Amino acid sequence: MDFSWIHDPFYQSYFWQGFVNTLMLVAISGFFGFILAVLNALAQVKGPRPLAWLAKGYTTVIRGTPLLVQLFFFYDGIGRLLPMIDGIRQSIIWPLLTNAFFFGCLTFTVSVGAYAGEVIRGAMASVPKRELETAKAFGMSSWKILWRIWLPRAIQICLPTLTGEIILLLKSVPLVSTIAVVDLLRAANIVRSETFLVYEPLLLVAGIYVALTVVLTWVMHTIEKNFPGAKPQKSALFSRL
Amino acid sequence: MSDSTHHSQFAENSQSCAPAVSVSNLHMSYGSFEVLKGIDAEAAEGSVTSIIGASGSGKSTFLRCMNLLEQPKEGRLEIAGETVEFAYSDKGRPVPVCKQVTRNLRTRVSMVFQQFNLWPHFTVLGNVTEVPIHIQGVSRKEAIERAEYYLEKVGMSDKRDQYPAYLSGGQQQRVAIARALATEPDVMLFDEPTSALDPELVGEVLNVIRSLAEDGRTMLLVTHEMRFAREVSNQILFLHQGQIEESGTPEDVFENPSSERCQQFLSSIIH
Ligand SMILES: Nc1ncnc2c1ncn2[C@@H]1O[C@H](COP(=O)(O)OP(=O)(O)OP(=O)(O)O)[C@@H](O)[C@H]1O
Ligand SMILES: [Mg+2]
Repeated sequence: MDFSWIHDPFYQSYFWQGFVNTLMLVAISGFFGFILAVLNALAQVKGPRPLAWLAKGYTTVIRGTPLLVQLFFFYDGIGRLLPMIDGIRQSIIWPLLTNAFFFGCLTFTVSVGAYAGEVIRGAMASVPKRELETAKAFGMSSWKILWRIWLPRAIQICLPTLTGEIILLLKSVPLVSTIAVVDLLRAANIVRSETFLVYEPLLLVAGIYVALTVVLTWVMHTIEKNFPGAKPQKSALFSRL
Repeated sequence: MSDSTHHSQFAENSQSCAPAVSVSNLHMSYGSFEVLKGIDAEAAEGSVTSIIGASGSGKSTFLRCMNLLEQPKEGRLEIAGETVEFAYSDKGRPVPVCKQVTRNLRTRVSMVFQQFNLWPHFTVLGNVTEVPIHIQGVSRKEAIERAEYYLEKVGMSDKRDQYPAYLSGGQQQRVAIARALATEPDVMLFDEPTSALDPELVGEVLNVIRSLAEDGRTMLLVTHEMRFAREVSNQILFLHQGQIEESGTPEDVFENPSSERCQQFLSSIIH
């Protein structure tokens, strides 16, 4: 085993950049993806027909195609078509549209919106009808029931599943190394190509991912435990890794 | 018997007041299956009416019509100062009750369910303040005062910051009663409030309901607890296949029921 390259500041900066990009990708697409997921679920459960179909179609297409294909589709497809729009090169969002990291975030957001949206939709269906009916019996309007009872209860129910989704998201990040975003895998590949070491850089990547997964699981578990009305439960951290 | 002096005194009270609930010719169907076949009933203000009858006779449906959780297809309902006439349009669909009327009615008629139906993501206090704050527009401070008052009344003050999952069934039902009381309703509906409870927890809930009866709350109560119904009620309605087969004071209904079906039902319950 040869880990002497770890002391090289040049490689260190690549790994650091990869680490930061990984966290940012997960945080940004986790956040916006969750919002999109809620909107997706709402559109399917409560939206007018055409909107519900649109949301259903979006979910089916995204869940039915490989994430890598979607990534290429957004980056190579849309990314190449956009410059044809008149005046777009002069607009202030142009730097964003030429940025591979942006397309990584976009692809993952769209993906989380579909997968988590399906999870939330299912959870909404599993909230006992009588809890909603009770709110109705007290004169609550249907929108208020949605925001105060239905949605919070659904999130409470599916939080453990959402934890699983976010960990899958974390482990999808290396895909962006194919569109020239520096993530941990790309940093490792740079080391591998220059030092001809096969395993050591990959071992470091694997080690970092395991650590990130443990931390992320712990964070989500803490949120679950402190979610209003959570049932008493024993520590399930290690049983769920 | 001390019991009978107890409720005859209630009966006197209630006779002097106008009816708080008045139902006439109420018909209700699920699809083509007619569940209520023309119900006429009245309940005086401050009185307790118990609705008894076999499973499937339409007791829950009747109660659910009182706060429009089910829409009757025909008849008239006067409750909590609102009058609602039910009718079918030419196309055979029920004419929907005006939203404002529905809302007014529901905020003044509150219901206690067999399964408690507390909202699990709110604390006890959150459950009890939810309707006053978010539906009735009461200030947070006043809502909390109200909640504390009614939680005290049902003996649940010490659990105010607890979540429902940590409470026993009897405790949950008492909180559900406090939740219903905190809306300061004109009429309270109870649908088998003790049927989902372990036998040793039934008493604590019945005691709370009994104290409400003594306060002179207008209540409609569906129950299988015949002794209790007899003790607290001013009026008993016996429902059979969607019709009122027998009605009257507890003495009338329990001691000399004129309907044969009511006699059969009572003897089947007692044995
Ligand atoms: N949502 C529904 N759709 C169709 N039929 C229903 C529905 N709810 C109740 N029914 C039927 O209506 C009839 C009356 O039901 P209801 O629940 O009012 O009876 P109940 O007297 O409350 O009985 P129990 O003592 O079992 O609670 C029953 O035959 C029942 O099967
Ligand atoms: Mg019933």
